[in-house]
Amino acid sequence: MAILEVQNIHKSFGRTEVLKGISFSLEKGNVLSIIGSSGSGKTTLLRCINFLETADTGRITVDGDVIFDSDTQAKLSPREKRDKQLKIGLVFQQFNLFPQYNVLDNVTLAPRLRAKEREDYKKNKKQINAEIEEKAKALLEKMGLSDKLQNYPCELSGGQQQRVSIARAMALEPKILFFDEPTSALDPELTGEILKVIRELAEEHMTMVIVTHEMNFAKDVSDHIVFMDHGVIAEEGRAEDLFNNPQSERLKAFLNNYD
Amino acid sequence: MRKKIIALVLSVLMIGLCFALAGCGDKKPAADSDLAYIKDKGTLVIGITDFAPMDFQKKGSEEWVGFDADLAKKFAESLGVKAEFQLIEWDYKTTELDGKTIDCVWNGMTLTEEVKAAMDCSKPYCNNQQIVIVPADKAADYQTAEACKDLQFAVENGSAGEEVATEFGFKITEVENQASALQEVAAGTCDAAIIDSLMAAAMVGEGTSYANLTYTVGLNDEEYGVGFRKGSDVVAVFNAFLEEAIADGTVDAIAETYDVQAALIK
Amino acid sequence: MAQFFQQFPTVFAALNVGFLQTLKLFICTLLGALPLGLLISFGSMSKFKPLSLVTRLIVWVVRGTPLMIQLLIIFFFPGLVWGKPIWGGGESGRFLAATVAFIINYACYFSEIYRGGIQSIPVGQHEASQVLGLTKSQTFFRVVLLQVVKRIVPPMSNEIITLVKDTSLARIIALQEIIWAGQSFMKGSHGIAGQIWPLFFTGVYYLLFSGILTLLFNKLEKKLSYFKV
Repeated sequence: MAILEVQNIHKSFGRTEVLKGISFSLEKGNVLSIIGSSGSGKTTLLRCINFLETADTGRITVDGDVIFDSDTQAKLSPREKRDKQLKIGLVFQQFNLFPQYNVLDNVTLAPRLRAKEREDYKKNKKQINAEIEEKAKALLEKMGLSDKLQNYPCELSGGQQQRVSIARAMALEPKILFFDEPTSALDPELTGEILKVIRELAEEHMTMVIVTHEMNFAKDVSDHIVFMDHGVIAEEGRAEDLFNNPQSERLKAFLNNYD
Repeated sequence: MRKKIIALVLSVLMIGLCFALAGCGDKKPAADSDLAYIKDKGTLVIGITDFAPMDFQKKGSEEWVGFDADLAKKFAESLGVKAEFQLIEWDYKTTELDGKTIDCVWNGMTLTEEVKAAMDCSKPYCNNQQIVIVPADKAADYQTAEACKDLQFAVENGSAGEEVATEFGFKITEVENQASALQEVAAGTCDAAIIDSLMAAAMVGEGTSYANLTYTVGLNDEEYGVGFRKGSDVVAVFNAFLEEAIADGTVDAIAETYDVQAALIK
Repeated sequence: MAQFFQQFPTVFAALNVGFLQTLKLFICTLLGALPLGLLISFGSMSKFKPLSLVTRLIVWVVRGTPLMIQLLIIFFFPGLVWGKPIWGGGESGRFLAATVAFIINYACYFSEIYRGGIQSIPVGQHEASQVLGLTKSQTFFRVVLLQVVKRIVPPMSNEIITLVKDTSLARIIALQEIIWAGQSFMKGSHGIAGQIWPLFFTGVYYLLFSGILTLLFNKLEKKLSYFKV
């Protein structure tokens, strides 16, 4: 069964229709890359799935739960929306770390605040927070940042900051992790360390959706590719098929630009 | 549409503001008894400025004393209320009265036409003169009003002194208060000043703050009175109190304390 | 010179009393205007148009008219127009009226500084908070606020040091703050008259006080220098 199902997403800004009915699905443990030229709608799609924009129509299901339905969305309380939204995590192009918190606190802030809503929080406060911290430290160790726990974002390189933001997104244990062009804001020599982290996550069968311009990386790490063009999915399929044997003229033209 | 709404809101506010400001100009007579109002709140708030020998504080003391202050305490006592002295900005004396932030102006106030138009005033209780102040070493040259006509005078803005100076056609510089006027003469920035004779007696000449200054010509005769709100029924009560206080010697006794008995009106 | 030393204790005592009033007005204004300014800035940024419109109109009126006139209106208006002198005429009533006028005036200035600070926080901070499941108030207090504080310390310190000196405007409604106390010795007070030096001497109080404030603000700025926004 598909862990993610996106059905018929439409989104317009004013009179410009940016998404003209997007549907796709993703199996658990798989990696999906969304490629396409600038303005094709891939970032808007990602933002709609992550609730940063509200789609005009459509339905999104994660692990059998409907997390978004344009017909019923308005009836949900802010808290219900948050609960649904937390099934997925997002890593930003610009990291968006919280500058006033150190690395460890950036990762633990959201889990700590979330834990306060637990019924047993008052009773087990110390233990809960210790568990959160342990988990954050383990995540940061995996990211190779164990020696940077007490550092502030302004003291880190771009690559290190992006690794913190991946740890921060994973700390809430999302079922699917989304990446919005995770290497675009980095110097070329730093992209490698991020791609390496994502590759490792893929090997651990983390379900991921990646919007990227790194064609070689997409080809290498993805199980499935979606090629978007002018607000529609122009072509999709298994990674090797799509890259080695593109069907549509538009995809051919797009891939030629990268050779 | 939005612009229309903004315009509408703005105009409503502006019209409201105009009415509100126009309201400030109205002099409504006190509807109810002013006496009852004062007795009800238990204090008589007396608007004053620091003005020896009428209302002043002695060195090292916070208590207001003086010819006016002492008599005011007696008057408050006769009403059965507490006397509360409040320093005010002199320019706002009428506004303070009308706004009920003070209950009377009792501070060696000259009964000019303007004052009498703006407040209901008591019978005069003290004589005063507007007199010319010059440096002592030049006093001999300026013993008549005629001799003074080419001098540059410092006068308090809106004071009786300014009114007199204008009548005589003197060249004037307006300053904030009578003390500033003296300061101008002492500093040589003006040739002469015109101030109240009662104040001059206390502040000018040997043994005072301005030992180098002296007074020469008296330019007019005028009277001091106490100002109340327009239409106030306290005026009549005060006049009766004053008559009695003069008759039983209270006024004389206080006047002697502050050396103003020569100026009393009985 | 002998006269100066003779007068000094009296003048010093009177100036201290006046300065205490200045200080009280300063502190009460800050206590009221700092939070009220935040409310006003929320109002002016509200998505509910009528609210933001009215708030901005008020801010425009308050910032566009002299504080001195606002003081006079707030103090005299109730008695003159409604016939109800809500402040009373005594010193404490005058202080209350002055405090209200100063709080309203400074809250409007502060609100614009807050608004600039809040709007300068990158949208990415809000989006990151949202996808991490933070509520609106958690986002504001846990993520945005400290960054705003860091950004607004320089303009706020400017405004607050201006407030120190603006307190002297309250003398228009006869609040006896330090300038009033200094000036009273020109006209004559406590047996001293015709002296302008007490007025000049008040400058020393202002200078020392704003000096202390400047040091405090520098310290705060330094304390917040561990992160960049």
